[in-house]
Amino acid sequence: MAVGIEAMNVFGGTAYLDVMQLAKYRQLDTSRFENLLMKEKAVALPYEDPITFGVNAAKPLIDSLSASDKNRIELLITCTESGIDFSKSMSSYIHHYLGLNRHCRMFELKNACYSGTAGLQTAIQFILSQTSPGAKALVIATDISRFMAAERGGALSMGGAYAEPSSGAGAVALLVSEQPYAFQIDVGANGYYGYEVCDTCRPVPDSEVGDADLSLLSYLDCCEQAYLAYQNKVEGADYRKTFQYLAFHTPFGGMVKGAHRTMMRKMAKAAPPEIEADYAQRVVPGLVYCQRVGNVMGATSLLSLASTIDNGQYGSPKRIGCFSYGSGCSSEFYSGIVTAQGQERQRAFAIQRHLDERYPLSMDEYETLLTGSSSVKFGTRNVQLDIDLIPGAVAAHAGKSRLVLDRIHEFHREYRWIS
Amino acid sequence: MNTNELFQIIVSHTREVLPELQDHPIQPEDRLADLGANSVDRAEIIMMTMDTLSLRIPSVELFGVNNIGELAEVLYAKLQTS
Repeated sequence: MAVGIEAMNVFGGTAYLDVMQLAKYRQLDTSRFENLLMKEKAVALPYEDPITFGVNAAKPLIDSLSASDKNRIELLITCTESGIDFSKSMSSYIHHYLGLNRHCRMFELKNACYSGTAGLQTAIQFILSQTSPGAKALVIATDISRFMAAERGGALSMGGAYAEPSSGAGAVALLVSEQPYAFQIDVGANGYYGYEVCDTCRPVPDSEVGDADLSLLSYLDCCEQAYLAYQNKVEGADYRKTFQYLAFHTPFGGMVKGAHRTMMRKMAKAAPPEIEADYAQRVVPGLVYCQRVGNVMGATSLLSLASTIDNGQYGSPKRIGCFSYGSGCSSEFYSGIVTAQGQERQRAFAIQRHLDERYPLSMDEYETLLTGSSSVKFGTRNVQLDIDLIPGAVAAHAGKSRLVLDRIHEFHREYRWIS
Repeated sequence: MNTNELFQIIVSHTREVLPELQDHPIQPEDRLADLGANSVDRAEIIMMTMDTLSLRIPSVELFGVNNIGELAEVLYAKLQTS
């Protein structure tokens, strides 16, 4: 039977920062900074959290469904490393604000940047099991990065100068069903690889630590081993010929470029000019959205998939090879098919226009958000949010139905819709 | 193969990734980062070196060295046991 992604949507923030502006402000070496291959990063506003991001990504998908189809959503998985509670699942809030059927399994899932893929694969197994024929699953990968200013520059701070410009905020929502219009999964074509390594993690609230070198080496090891495991399972698989596009987990564009170069050298014995052409042809379509949102952890490889679907050429059906890596670590290489009709349906969600309509933060506004006391810390008991903190950003919501965090009352988060 | 030959292999891959170092003398005490290699460059130099040596171990096992000379020594030790 057919299974895969029926539809998917991206929420890449209300506001963003131009990363070259940030690099100049932080006095980073801008010539070497080009190698990062990043353009913009989404910045979560104080009244935005992983729940508002997730709901805002999913809302257009839900609104596109008939009432009876919406009622067939029987599984809701929220995939994140930005949890707001050790016990209460973000799925409960998301379920409520999307108005889903109460006969729905819900939970939250964690595995660093691999979480979105873990959620997708879990949903696929639910559909394939046919324990509830015709049911649909909603998978929401949502993550935000919030650097507490005091943490910057410490011995354990994330990856030196590159972490801040590449860390974003975003969510990707997937509707998984027996009607895989957007992305038909190659069932059983999966290679996975993982082991214990402490490369990046979030061992304390509101901050993250990690080692860029260790994480890169682990990513590259996994990129090779997960693909080799895929190749062992899928007869005739060829890294160069089987996949017309490649979607990578994208911490930053330069890392994907390096990983692709390494893989092409190892798997295809390709020479540099050929690798460069292959990169432009097969990899760049998947980087477009990632370069404008930043690393969105658990949602990143799915963001790259959405970018590949929107920005590729589908005169005939094409196969996309997807690589997902999550620190700690767990990784997977899998594949699926995209058609022209699927791309047409996806373009109705106008992801690029949404990214274009975000509010550009000034450096002053960004610093206010970063250093101010406005951000909601983990474990906040009571707070009332000020939606007008960045007045310009409010206009970016105009005409769109958006969920925002209104207040936290005795640990309970209360949201409201604005438009 | 001794550690000096290993060191020379690392140097040649370093120059391949960073052509601007072609005429720059490189010492065992040099750190790749100080020579201008960013994190992606460093990972790539390590992967290329492992390829040249046909060394099939997880590259994360090479993590934690302080300079190019130490990297050559760790690689040498891995070659003896692989």
